[in-house]
Amino acid sequence: MKPKTAVAGILAVVVALATLSTAQSARAQDWFKTGTGLGVSKARLAVPDDAARTTAAQPLAKTFHDVLWADLEYSGIIDMVSPSFYPLSVPSQPSELNGQAWAAAPANAYMVAYGNLTADASGLAFAGYLSDVHNPSAPPALQKIYRASATDADARKLAHEFADDIVALLSGGQPGIAQTQITYVSARNGNKEIWVMDYDGANQHQVTHLRSISLTPRWSPDATRIAFTCYVPYRGITSAQICIYSMPLGRLTAFPRFRGTNSSPAWSPDGSQIAFMSSENGDPEIYVANTDGSHMHRITFAAGVNTSPTWNPKTGQQMVFVSDRGGVPVLYLSNSDGSNVQKLDLPDMGYVIDPAWSPNGQLLAFSWQRPSGNYDIYVMDIVTKQLVELTRDEGRNERPSWAPDGRHLTFESTRTGTRQIWTMLADGSEPRQLTFEGQSESPNWSPK
Amino acid sequence: MTVGITSSVPAIPLPHPEVETPSRVVDNTDGLFKSEPMPLPKPDLEAVPIPKFEKEKKKPPKITSRPSKLLENPTPPPPNAVPYGNGGRPTVPVSASTFTMGNTGATSAGLIAGGAGQGDFGSRFSWYVEAVQRRVSSNWIQSAIDPNVGYAPRVTVTFTILRNGSVTNVQITQSSNVPSVDTSAVRAVEASSPLQPLPPAYSGSNVNVEFYFDYHR
Repeated sequence: MKPKTAVAGILAVVVALATLSTAQSARAQDWFKTGTGLGVSKARLAVPDDAARTTAAQPLAKTFHDVLWADLEYSGIIDMVSPSFYPLSVPSQPSELNGQAWAAAPANAYMVAYGNLTADASGLAFAGYLSDVHNPSAPPALQKIYRASATDADARKLAHEFADDIVALLSGGQPGIAQTQITYVSARNGNKEIWVMDYDGANQHQVTHLRSISLTPRWSPDATRIAFTCYVPYRGITSAQICIYSMPLGRLTAFPRFRGTNSSPAWSPDGSQIAFMSSENGDPEIYVANTDGSHMHRITFAAGVNTSPTWNPKTGQQMVFVSDRGGVPVLYLSNSDGSNVQKLDLPDMGYVIDPAWSPNGQLLAFSWQRPSGNYDIYVMDIVTKQLVELTRDEGRNERPSWAPDGRHLTFESTRTGTRQIWTMLADGSEPRQLTFEGQSESPNWSPK
Repeated sequence: MTVGITSSVPAIPLPHPEVETPSRVVDNTDGLFKSEPMPLPKPDLEAVPIPKFEKEKKKPPKITSRPSKLLENPTPPPPNAVPYGNGGRPTVPVSASTFTMGNTGATSAGLIAGGAGQGDFGSRFSWYVEAVQRRVSSNWIQSAIDPNVGYAPRVTVTFTILRNGSVTNVQITQSSNVPSVDTSAVRAVEASSPLQPLPPAYSGSNVNVEFYFDYHR
């Protein structure tokens, strides 16, 4: 009896162990190992022409490909393979992809983005694919059908969507910026009004029609509203006030008027508060209020002008602003409740204005007029106080604003003779002019 | 010789100075012009001895700049060498025939991988692996590392990517013993969450990652 039980017990243990080990191996997962230490490599991507399946799609295919190419090239993370290196046969769907030909010299591509366009009465459809050429048997990294109406504007939109999907895949989930917008001030129609355009300068359109002066537009964190400085007469008195424009409503939303001059609004990262300069109590100081104007309270207490607040978008716990309390306008860092103010020391004299905090909270862009020159854009590492000069000897370059990917900046520059909006990569390379008409200034990149 | 304003009064004998110091202003021992020292004989330029002919020895080449260490080391890596991050393409398990050590479970570090998964994630979805590498690398903020540290041994961080791309279970499996480097590595991983969702073609629910950081200033 007893030995039998013992044997049964052992058996049970063995069975249990076997079950356990099976469970263990079933739980075991796929893994991979990678690392860093020698910098970040760019993905080498080939983007052949996209096949137009119908004749109506042919003119749109050209627009589509041009926009897609420009988006990917400017993304900052992709190394584009020159079209002259492409194999002769271009795929329009995964079954036609000859991975060997693309992987081999001279193309040496790592991935290929391709697809086909169909335009008919129902609209425009783009079947887009992104394939790893070293692994043609694996399913494409991206296969998606994009639909819109068959217009040139929508072909652009589809290209931006496809580009953003590719950038997100190749950068490990960080969204691209091809569908972002830039708001700015332009006086090309007579008055300084708020305008909005796509990040590549397309689709420029006027947003406000206040027929006065509108300045310093700032996108809300959800990119649905724009806060700006407006000069709207009220009971015969015109003074600088904070206005908020709602994009979905297409009109201004309520924000109370305050005494004195009110300007340079900035949104808190959660979108619930606005910091701005107000001379309500005489001295221009920084105040914080809810987006409906309630609970307004003062956070700076220093003689002189305190203006241009900007929140740390990552934490919302800190703020940088401009103050001339020490004689000339320079940047100060404080907690968002105004405590613990410290001057951001720079290795030279001069005016320092227009602070803009990068999306990861790590870098601060600003414009600085050193005694030896003109206003130029600089970027400072908040922790180490290391400086990089991004523009030099090309007119006045001011008012930087970060793209949500933290890889691009928009700014205003007078390098062509007139004040216009430009963008560049955050290392100062690849400057691109977006506006050409009249004078444009004070750009702000939408956070999404 | 004595000089004094009272020397014209002979009745008062003045004491001599105890020590006669020679005047430093007037040197009356030599003439007005000092004689120049005799010039050294000019070296006879023609008398350079002809060096004795010797068989020329090859001098070692003068190294002006340090060449890359890769070029310096001519020994090829043994075929069974474990690839040690050169920043290139990621190391991936070639097949599912990897071994299991102990029963440490799925998240153990190093070469250990369970066999039940498809085991070829890295080779099937190398674009995903590179995207993860790109994202984490770009989020590695090295400016927060102690400036006195010039080099740190490799830090290895393991984590799990869930299907929706969120990163969990971040832990240091091999410390560099430099706290600020370890912290920056963990922060780089955590700042990258959420990553791109796992590829739709991948059937598993999550993927374990072993990510190393080599720091040198």
